[in-house]
Order: sequence, then C-alpha cells, then structure tokens
Amino acid sequence: MRDVSCVTQDDIRNTRYQKMLSDIIVSPAPHIGEPRSTRRVMIDVIIALVPAMIAAGYFFRIYAAILIGTCVISTTVTEWLCNLIRKKPNSLDDFSAVVTGIILALSLPPSLPFWAAVIGSCFAIAVGKMVFGGLGANIFNPAMIGRAFLTVSFGMLMTTWTVPATIDPAMPRVAPDNMVEARTQATPLAWSKLAIKDKSGAKIYSGRQFKATVTGEVAGCLGETCTIALLVGGLYLLIRRTIVIHTPLAVLLSSFVFAEICYRINPNAYVHPSFHLTSGGLMLAAFFIATDPVTRPLTAKGMWIFGAGVGTITMLIRTMGKYPEGVMFSVLLMNAMTPLIDRFCKPIPAGGKPSV
Amino acid sequence: MKIDIGGKLTFRGGVYPAEKKSLTRDSEIQPGPAVKQVAVMLSQHTGAICQPLVRSANLVQAGQKIGDSDAFVSAPVHSPITGKVKEIALRSHSVLGRSPAIIIDAYQYTPSKQPRFDLADEFDENRYSPGQICDVIRQAGIVGMGGAGFPTRVKIEPNPQMPKDTMIINGCECEPYITCDYRIMLERTRQIVAGIKLARRASGCSRVFVGIEDNKPEAIEAINAALSRTGNSEKVRVVPVKTKYPQGGERQLIKAILNKNVPTGGIPPMIGVVVLNVATAAAIAEAVLADLPLTHRVVTVTGEAIANPGNYNVAIGTSVRGLIEFCGGVTKKSAKVILGGPMMGVAIADLETPITKTTNAITVLTKEQIGQAKFDRRQTPCIRCGRCLRACPENLSPTKIAHAVKNNLLDVAESYYINACTECGCCSYVCPAKIELTGYIKTGKIFLARQKKMIPQ
Repeated sequence: MRDVSCVTQDDIRNTRYQKMLSDIIVSPAPHIGEPRSTRRVMIDVIIALVPAMIAAGYFFRIYAAILIGTCVISTTVTEWLCNLIRKKPNSLDDFSAVVTGIILALSLPPSLPFWAAVIGSCFAIAVGKMVFGGLGANIFNPAMIGRAFLTVSFGMLMTTWTVPATIDPAMPRVAPDNMVEARTQATPLAWSKLAIKDKSGAKIYSGRQFKATVTGEVAGCLGETCTIALLVGGLYLLIRRTIVIHTPLAVLLSSFVFAEICYRINPNAYVHPSFHLTSGGLMLAAFFIATDPVTRPLTAKGMWIFGAGVGTITMLIRTMGKYPEGVMFSVLLMNAMTPLIDRFCKPIPAGGKPSV
Repeated sequence: MKIDIGGKLTFRGGVYPAEKKSLTRDSEIQPGPAVKQVAVMLSQHTGAICQPLVRSANLVQAGQKIGDSDAFVSAPVHSPITGKVKEIALRSHSVLGRSPAIIIDAYQYTPSKQPRFDLADEFDENRYSPGQICDVIRQAGIVGMGGAGFPTRVKIEPNPQMPKDTMIINGCECEPYITCDYRIMLERTRQIVAGIKLARRASGCSRVFVGIEDNKPEAIEAINAALSRTGNSEKVRVVPVKTKYPQGGERQLIKAILNKNVPTGGIPPMIGVVVLNVATAAAIAEAVLADLPLTHRVVTVTGEAIANPGNYNVAIGTSVRGLIEFCGGVTKKSAKVILGGPMMGVAIADLETPITKTTNAITVLTKEQIGQAKFDRRQTPCIRCGRCLRACPENLSPTKIAHAVKNNLLDVAESYYINACTECGCCSYVCPAKIELTGYIKTGKIFLARQKKMIPQ
C-alpha cells in the first residue's frame, strides 16, 4: 500500500476547492457553544450588585462613592501591575478585579479613609489573587483577604460605624440609647452582643429594629445593611443561573437553625433568628461572597456542606466569639476547607463506580 | 402518554442547543450524487479492520463484498457501484487518521439508487430463523448507523452470558442540524417496522420500545400508525422522550425509558438491553427482505454555508467534496466542515474523506455559527463555576479531568473516572471560559489507552 495524495491535479485547478480548503478550521467537538463567557458571568455579578450599591449611596452618600470608586480603581490597577510584573497577558477584560473591588468596598465601614481602602484593595488582588496565579487559582476569596488584612491592621477604623445619612444624628431612633454617639452608632450585631451579656435580647429587638435591618437604615458596612437590595441582586443571579441556590440556601438555613436553637434556649439573651439573617454581612456573604465560584466547592453536595459551614461558624462567632460579626472569618475558614470538601464530594458516575 | 416502565423520559444533566433542524427537516430524501469513483474504507465500524477481497484491476459488481474479516467484532464492506478496482490506497478517516480504502472506478457516472422496497406490511418474520437473520445482517455488513458503528450482528445475537430482554429503537436524533433519521422515520416507516420485527425475532427480546424526542411529533405519529396497521402496537411501544441533548446517547435513552443505568465502562447488554438506531433497523429490513447489502445511506448535508441543504441517499465511499458540490457548494464563507453534527461531529481538513456507514451528516458552519463560541473571546482560566458538572449526563467532573490531563496527571484523571466519559460535548458547550474540556478528555483517554498498551503508540 502506498500513500497517495488525496488531491489530484484536477482539484488543484478547481479554484473553489482551493478557496474552501484555505479557510477550513479543525478543532475538537463540540463546534458550537453557549454565548455565556467568563466576562458575562462577572458582568452579571456587577449588575446584581447595583441595587446594593444604590442602597449604599442612599444611606451613606459620599462615603459610598469614595469607597467603591477607590476600591475598583485600586483593584484594577493592582491587577494590571501584577500582570505587568509577571509578564502575563492583560486579564482586566474579564472584569473579575472590578467584582473584587466592589465586594470589598461593600464590606468596609463607610467612614474608612480612602488610603486604607487602597491598601486593602492592593492586598486583596496582589496577595489574595495574583500570587496564586490569578483568576481561578486563588484559594481564598480576594475581597475577604483584603478585608481581613484591614481588620488586623486598622482595628479601630474598621469598627467605626457611621450613622446612615437618612437618620438625623441628633435623633437616634433605632439603636438602643446607650449605644449612640453623635456621628457613629453601634451595629445591630453589637446590640445583640450586648444583649447576650445583659440578657436583654427581647428589649433591643422589636418590629422597628427589624424594619430598619431589612431596609438598611442601620449602621454597618457599606453594602451589607440593606437586605432587600441584596435579595434583589441574589435573585437576579439565580434567575440568570450565574449562581446556584445551594450555597446561599445552606448559609441562610444553617444560620437560621443555629439562631433558632439559641433563641429557644434563652430568648432573653439571644435575639430572634430573623434579626441574625437580616443584619450584618450574612446576606451579602450568602449571595455574593460564599458563592464566589473559585473558592467554593464544585459539587452540589460540597456546596451544601460549605454553605452550612459558613452559616454555622458565622453564628458561632456571633453568639460565642469576641467579635460581633463573623462572616469574614467563616468564609475564609471554609475557603480553606474547600479542597478537602471537593475531595470528599467527588461525584460518582451515573453508572456507578467502575467494577475494575 | 403514561409510561409504566419506570423511566422519567429524561436524564440528569444535558444541554439545549438551538435545534437548527428546520434547514432540512422538510426536504425529502433525494438520490445523492452520481459517482464516477468511490473510496470504500476498509474500517467503517468498531472492531477489526477488513482485509480486501479484491485486487487492483479486478472487476466488481454493485453489492459485491470487497472486504471482510474473520474476527467476530467486524463487518464486511461492499461496493456500491459496478466498476474496476483502481487501487487500495490510504484515505482520511475521521477517527483513525489515514486508513486503507478500496478505490473503485465506475465505467460511467453511476446514479445513486433509492433502495427498491415494495414489501407488503404483512410478512411473517417467523419465516426466518434467528440464526438466519443474524447471518444476513453480518453478510450485509450492517453496523450501528447512529455514530459508533458497532457491528449489529454482535449486538443482537443472543448471548447466553448476557441475556437480553429489552430492545430500544433509537429515533431521538438529539444532535442539532441533523434530520436524516427523522426523514427515514417518515419515509421509510415500513422498513423500520419490518426491521424492528426482524431484529426482535433475531435477538429474542420480549419488549421493544421506540424512543423518539417529542420535538418530532410527525415521526411519532408515523411510527405509531405503521405499528397499528401491522398489528404490532401491542408488542412495540413508541415512547416520546423529552427533547434534550444528548437524549440519543444510548445510556441516556435507557435511563429515560427504563430508568436503569448502564454500568460505568459497561455496555447495555449487561442490563439486558440492546439499542438500535432507526436507520439500522431499516437497513436490516432491506438486507433481509430485499437482499440489499449496506452500500448506501441517508446523509443530511446541512449548515448555514451550504447552498442547497437536504437529505440525500448517498453511495458509501462518495467523497465529502463530491457531496458538498452536489448540494451547490458553499455559499458563504465556510469555516468548518464537520462529519456529523456540531456537538459530536469531527471537523475535517481533507475534503476527499469518504462517506462511511456511520456518517449521518455533513455540517458546514460559517464563522458566525461557531464564532461566538470559539473566536470572539479568548479562553480564560477555569473559574470553577461548576456548569460542566451540572451539564454532564454521566455525572462526572469534566473540569477536574480536563485539568488533570492538561497537567499530564493521568492517574488523577482516572480517579475522576475519565473513561466513563461518553464525549457528548456538553461540558465544552456550557463552559463560559471556553475551555475545550471534551478535547482534553478525549486526548486523556487516548493517552491512557496507550499507557496501558491497549492501542499502539
């Protein structure tokens, strides 16, 4: 048998054939694909964060603009610089740095000076993401890495809570009287912390406080106060199928169960579960931070475990820890567990494990 | 329709690509191009490659056997035309690369014939013994015409080690663009029903189901009508399964109809099931009742770049180029010529590649069609979104397997069950990072087989 060329002289004279051959592309199947891209996923997250950003702007006015702007610019510039140093192609067009910037900004106290936000953003991108190899390779959520760095570096600044601009500073309405100063007031979670000590949970939490924690008219991080805005954004992500329901549901359910048990044991010391769900960073974490695909497990079972871990550790810190809020630490802890959870939840093929 | 057989009419995972079947779904099966030369591949099936039975300058008749093998898992090949053997040369093969083919020159252009078939609906399949039917199927060179090309005799012959009781006739055609099975179901309904009766007789199966996706109500109706006309509606049941890719994969079809999982790495007979394509069933009837070996098949020539898309009865061995030119050539800028459909088909570079028994379609796509997926945006790193896991019909971790292969960690790939992959392409289809997951997994499977010396280097 001899190898003969497939193309005869006639074919070569056939111009149409030549034209056809010159343009043909060969690549593995499938040859079509969904229009969704990584960039589109990130843009979806940004769109979903818009309600929370609007709420932040409404309650904290100029603080919101400064913090969000500073964080987005510094995360973007940091990523660009890191790529330059690593001699890697520019990766800004996937918009993941913008997402990190916005989430970091929304998880910072409104009055944080802009230079601290710059430091946090640089740390988030450079150490939280780029040293691991960039998008998809990081172990921890970059925004939470940045926030943790700020928390340990600038403890005082990170626990100064501005009163929302919609509340007249002279007329503190929501927070208990002993926890109000002129321009700052304690966050709802600080009230609950005090309640555990004073056994006054029932006193500090009523319908009025619940309404405030749902609408966001309380002190707290920039984007975490308005539960409604976060729910709207989360719903958008779910409808767009950018995230799946497992993680947020597991976070909310586990913290609800934990809070409910505490509340049943001692309703005086521990506040009602609805308070825990609506205040602090729980909603932000459930829909935007714990659902960060890079740092959560891959399988549905893994996401349930991960979400339950985030919710439970958050509630452990809130009820028994020294800090009033524990979302950041619980997300980072569970991020560290993700490779283990992934290994534990390896999917089994539809046909069962091979017998060989 | 109520199903009391356990299946939920669908399976886990899967994707919903645009069907694009309207290009050809209403075009009747036309005779294909007249051929002056054909190249009949000696390997058109899964199994041992055939040895040529003719030499160059030998004269051959249409329907004459020109290649065969002694191996059990194999099927002979036949000449579709009367003419003279020019030589035995290498031709491109979509899976095997370059592979030997018998080149036959006709004396003049031979028109592609429609199979003559004027059998009455009423015939007694019990006239034939199961052994007889199996022999004819083997001699006619019939293989699975849905894609894998597994020799049909091996599939349906009763095997005491793996008794079969259920036969599923696969008329799903879940792949986008392709309509050849749909047209066969409409136009060759009698052949299909006769083929089902014969295959049933040969295999000894007590239950027969015909699985058709519910986006083809006309086909469901046609088969149902033919079954009740021939008094077979009691023995054979048409099951309208949900439209989802890859519903036509045999593992997914068995899951949808019977709610049974074929064991990983196993084959349907292990759970007593045999799956035949509708085109294969029609070919069985043509072989047994009309004595026609498998020398022609229906091919859908389609895609936005084709001038006259349609379904054609094509002589096996016709070149892809001949068929594309017969359909008016390409109109717009063609970017990819695919043997098969866009999800599982093989993109070819050599237009002299001959049509084989398993070529169900030629899809020529323009840059716009594939552009969005493959060209507009560059590949990004995996963001672990998990869409491939949710789309995988076999419940695997495509991203884990693909990245293990990429980093040359074949043992890790194996620990994630790489060989359970059916290469349906759902993972690549949904990947927002545009990673060629299926491509990596296919490569990994080949590397693993080489490592285990299952195939030569």
